[in-house]
Amino acid sequence: MFADRDLGVKVAIYGHFAETGRRPEVVDVARRAGIDEAGVVASFQSLRAQRLLLLENDGRSIRMAPPFSGVPTQHLVEADGIGYFANCAWDALGVPAALRKPGRVHSRCEESGEPLDLPVGLEGPESSDWLFHCLVPAAKWWDDLVFT
Amino acid sequence: MLFFRSEERAAKWCAGRGVPRRPLVTMNQLWKLATTWYATRLEAVARRPQASEMRALFASIGLDDDFWDPGSDRFG
Repeated sequence: MFADRDLGVKVAIYGHFAETGRRPEVVDVARRAGIDEAGVVASFQSLRAQRLLLLENDGRSIRMAPPFSGVPTQHLVEADGIGYFANCAWDALGVPAALRKPGRVHSRCEESGEPLDLPVGLEGPESSDWLFHCLVPAAKWWDDLVFT
Repeated sequence: MLFFRSEERAAKWCAGRGVPRRPLVTMNQLWKLATTWYATRLEAVARRPQASEMRALFASIGLDDDFWDPGSDRFG
């Protein structure tokens, strides 16, 4: 157990995502962090304030623990036999970077729908001329993170 | 934050929605951003980069205009 509750909760959240590819429920985090559920929910709010977590409106369900998405998206990353949803194109490369494992990014060209199948090694993606575009300026990213 | 097959595809998508076309980023540049942002995310010591670190990161890979400035309010 961590002396800092928020830190223990954060490590528990990311540990669950890394091992399963899916978001943890409050009870999962409580069990993993060794604290009660009320403490987990309080830490969720604290981590949200630190911009480390984005929650659903119920305040208990994790929408984003970047680079991982708590809900299905168009950006799927396969690594070590596990499928992970990423929040955006940036996070799609962020998943193998965070896991420190090779992976494969499956996504699409937003204009044409052409599928992207990009192998990513420990040193980076295979040579590719695909491009990344961000509509929202950096100063505004957290104003509406889902839209960003 | 989206993927596009080419510059032309990105321009067409932006024009179709009446939104400005922003600077395009290569996969190698994006990998640099992803690793800097997330390489320690699963560890207890991880933290989000601060604004000054973000500016330095963007500048190090040639993304040095106001669009990438986390403290800029000239856009949006």
